[in-house]
Amino acid sequence: MSIDYYQAKDHAPLPPKNADVLTTACDYCIVACGYKVYRWPVAAKDGGMKAADNAFGVDFPGNMLQEWVAPTQHNICTYKGKKHNIVVIPDKDTNFVNTNGDSSIRGGLLAQKSYSADTKTKDRLKTPLVRINGVLTPMSWDDAIEIAAEVGKHVLKKHGEAAYGIKTFSYQYIENTYAVTKYALRHINTPNFTFHDTPAYVTSTPGFRDSGFDNFGPSYDDWGSAETLMICGTDPYETKTVLFTQHIMPGIANGMKVICLNPRETAGIAYINKMGGLHIDINPGSDNLVLGAITRVIMQNGWEDSDWIKKWVNNKWESNSGCGQGTRNTPWQWRTTWGKFQTKGYEDYKKWNLKQAEYDPKSAAEKASIDVKKIYQAAEWLAKPVNGKRPKTSIGIEKGFYWSNNTGNTNAISSLATICGAGGRPGQVLGRFGGHQRGGQKGGGYPRNKSAQKVPGRRRQALDTDRWLYSGHTRFAHVIGTTWIQSMPGSQGLAAKFEELVVKNPHQVKSNNKAEIIATLKKRADSGGMVVINQDIYLRDPIGAKFADVVFPAATWGEVDFMRANGERRLRLYQAFSDAPGEAKPDWEIISLLARKMGFDGFDWKNSNEVAEEASRFSRKGRKAFHMVKVAAHIEGKTLHQKMREMGTDGIQGPTMYNYKTGMLYGSKRLHDTTVGEKQFTAMGLSNGPVKENRYGKKMTHFNSQTGKINLQKHPWSLFGDLWEWLSPKKDELWMSNGRVNEVWQSGFDDVERRDYISQRWPGNWVEIHPEDAKKRGIESADMVMMYSDRVPVFKDTILGVHAKDFQFSELMKNGHIKLDKASISAIAIVTPTTKEGVMYANFLDMKQPNNSLTIRVPDNVSGNYNYKMGVGKVKKIGESEFKKDFRAMSFAPRNIT
Amino acid sequence: MSELKTTDKDQSALAHAKCILNRRKFLMYSGGIAAAASTVSITLFDGTAQAEIRKANVQGYPRKLIAKLSELKDHQPVNFNYPDDGKNSQAMIVKMGNVQAGGGVGSQRDVVAFSYICTHQGGPLQSTYKHVADQRVMGQCPLHLSTYDLRRHGIIVSGQAYQSLPQLLLEVEGDDVYAVGIMGLLFGRQDNLIA
Ligand code: SF4
Ligand code: FES
Repeated sequence: MSIDYYQAKDHAPLPPKNADVLTTACDYCIVACGYKVYRWPVAAKDGGMKAADNAFGVDFPGNMLQEWVAPTQHNICTYKGKKHNIVVIPDKDTNFVNTNGDSSIRGGLLAQKSYSADTKTKDRLKTPLVRINGVLTPMSWDDAIEIAAEVGKHVLKKHGEAAYGIKTFSYQYIENTYAVTKYALRHINTPNFTFHDTPAYVTSTPGFRDSGFDNFGPSYDDWGSAETLMICGTDPYETKTVLFTQHIMPGIANGMKVICLNPRETAGIAYINKMGGLHIDINPGSDNLVLGAITRVIMQNGWEDSDWIKKWVNNKWESNSGCGQGTRNTPWQWRTTWGKFQTKGYEDYKKWNLKQAEYDPKSAAEKASIDVKKIYQAAEWLAKPVNGKRPKTSIGIEKGFYWSNNTGNTNAISSLATICGAGGRPGQVLGRFGGHQRGGQKGGGYPRNKSAQKVPGRRRQALDTDRWLYSGHTRFAHVIGTTWIQSMPGSQGLAAKFEELVVKNPHQVKSNNKAEIIATLKKRADSGGMVVINQDIYLRDPIGAKFADVVFPAATWGEVDFMRANGERRLRLYQAFSDAPGEAKPDWEIISLLARKMGFDGFDWKNSNEVAEEASRFSRKGRKAFHMVKVAAHIEGKTLHQKMREMGTDGIQGPTMYNYKTGMLYGSKRLHDTTVGEKQFTAMGLSNGPVKENRYGKKMTHFNSQTGKINLQKHPWSLFGDLWEWLSPKKDELWMSNGRVNEVWQSGFDDVERRDYISQRWPGNWVEIHPEDAKKRGIESADMVMMYSDRVPVFKDTILGVHAKDFQFSELMKNGHIKLDKASISAIAIVTPTTKEGVMYANFLDMKQPNNSLTIRVPDNVSGNYNYKMGVGKVKKIGESEFKKDFRAMSFAPRNIT
Repeated sequence: MSELKTTDKDQSALAHAKCILNRRKFLMYSGGIAAAASTVSITLFDGTAQAEIRKANVQGYPRKLIAKLSELKDHQPVNFNYPDDGKNSQAMIVKMGNVQAGGGVGSQRDVVAFSYICTHQGGPLQSTYKHVADQRVMGQCPLHLSTYDLRRHGIIVSGQAYQSLPQLLLEVEGDDVYAVGIMGLLFGRQDNLIA
């Protein structure tokens, strides 16, 4: 392994008094900590050690928690063509989110993200590129756009909208996602569209949606003000760090009890356990069983929150009205056609739960391989009244949970939460903790009726873009800011398909003549092959490096003003502070060039603010509605971005309201807040209902169903159980799950690939193996191992479901729709008790060795989402890594030492 | 825990630079025999960068007697200040029970020295030294739980810090252990040397 070792520096400059100070927020995880950027010309003098001589007003050496610049928080970038010092450190003055000016290692190193010709960011894409004779060759914007547009138009005309596939990030700023979705959904109008983390345009948490819960209703305060907090499928310390350190940790210090449902014990969970928490260390995919059992114990003891249930749970007639739009044609209704989920209310649910053999605590504990006592203990903590008082309970979930048994788990947790009275009161909430930030703003509706895919029942299902591509229907793949291939399960098979459709097709560009290029690419599409265009900040392998025919360089964080919200719907302006490399442009501008060339109207924005202002109207129904900020801005004679800039790192929580009389803007602390009273309405000037452009939707004080109450749903294990049993490790197989570590954010293009300190910490692909499993296989820490399987199930066909069970795994298997792939990847072994015996836990997104190769490519049979966390494999030693003898890089110390 | 506070100002590291540099290469990056042979190619001390690195890590640093090998007891850190007695100079030296470490001195290469100040936001790491099987760490930091690997030059195990825990360069003369430099910037300072 070749590693560029981090060179520890023992100096960092302090910003001078007169440095420019700009606010932004972190580019990485959902928490979106507030940051300050200090900028001063390299020619100017640095700040001095005296408080009067530096921008912080702090005497150096400083004290604990005071401003400080680590060497890794300084960079030299160009601004308006001139070299400037840039220091990016957490904002010590912010009133929310990262109170105390806290930050994680990821955000802490943000300064290194910015483009500088002298650092590893020097390979940022700078000009459009077109592949000629297999080589990506620089080309002018005009020509590159014309090539993409001409081929795109041709594909649309000749092969139809569904042949134009678009795979895009869902989060990389409101201006960009608005432009992309306006283009894709309103103008191209293709059903062959989805976001970076799903095969199809589907919800991440079907159970939340169908029960009536928003994913991001809670405020960060709620996670620390519960008395019992249940955390499912994540260690927030690892993946939304400051939410843990600034909100959950203080809660624990105040006596909050925490229950973790997770096969692994990482640093945060170890801390929770040390503080007396309860760790339910389940087998992957067995959450549903354990939750069903906990709920049963609560109901059998009569610990349910009857007042809450009486007031807020739909009865038979109410639940018949589903989630709105009448009783028939709603997503909820079509999914529940056979009464699989719908109940007539609490008693009906209880009856159902008690009848399911698998929710007997003993049986659930056995399958999950946990101590059954933990089920009873959890039930007590969640719901048992103490001295006549119910505990205030909150529940947060994330991907380890909802990407294991997507529908079953999210249904089960919604029911458990509702029975405990969690969901609509301060400190009593249900929500996602979140992964990436929330920068999505839809500019068009998904054309569901054009999808070729249908589950049994009335409605069409969003098209599975991977399966569609597998079957050769995608002729033009437009990929925006995602690797697509590595981030989907069964990656090695998907890569082979790309290779076949793109590289092995006989129609390859051999000339630099524009007309010839266009003609060749049209022929490729017509011959059954595929043309790929790619917008990104770096050339990603293989999507850009091997497959793209046209590549457009994108500008990103810190280079253009953008807006985005976090996991409590807090909107901020992420300010530009340095130049984008070369001719790179923001994605909205690339889309606008392309759209105009395609002949579409309404894409001639002049700057980022204009895009945001156009988008605001479409945000009004959403959880981060920012329209009223624009209204306020215009009344004050400002632009939307200007107004957002004034709000700095505090920003404002969507949905936003505006009091036309007092000129005050209001954010919304939480959604579904059943405690909001007259006082707040009066303050907002809304005591007689919404005024002018204000919208005050049902979700503010009620739930997202027709009646505004919760649908208490069944969560049958049987929908998933056949797959789980089939998948469960046989003989010497182990479960294979995967996820992230604290030090690395998502795909790693910034950190593992371009920050020497992080590459030194994580120099290669890795896998955690429990000491008992390792011993049996003769594996030690720092050995190189191979993980392999010949049982990677791949659902390969686009089918129209007719019978109720058509999409059930065992039926798919019987009818020949499942193909068993082989895959193998190598990794450095970390032998550690942090992972459960029988479970391997691997890096989720090593670009060269995607662990997703071994995860199941069988979407959830109801939601259409992938269960990325599920896989099995064998493991064997293939040698030793250099880290066995060399102490410079990596670490094998367990993450659960407290 | 005992405190040793002898600073031998006359024997500055600079005066010893010539003879110690080769030794230091070996001391800091001893990764067993294989790695010792490859130390030459390490960015930190290779070719032309050497002079600058030497400046950064050694030049100007005091050579300070901090412990006697024979008096160090397994897993019992000894506290001292370095490079001065100013803010954020608290550090410790520890013998890690015959487990070899990068930068370790002594016959077992198990004696290392580190700053006590968490490089995230200055949290105090006093009393967080831990040994579990063959792993040696400092942490979790009481503020935000950062943990550092003492066998691997203070690299972050898990947590928030923006760089490794600063490791102190050590030299041994007979039974005496001297601190002669620091790898990385101490929290709260813009330069380690602020005399
Ligand atoms: S916790 Fe998340 S938002 Fe905050 S600094 Fe870390 S990565 Fe950025
Ligand atoms: S100060 Fe040590 S982890 Fe924050």
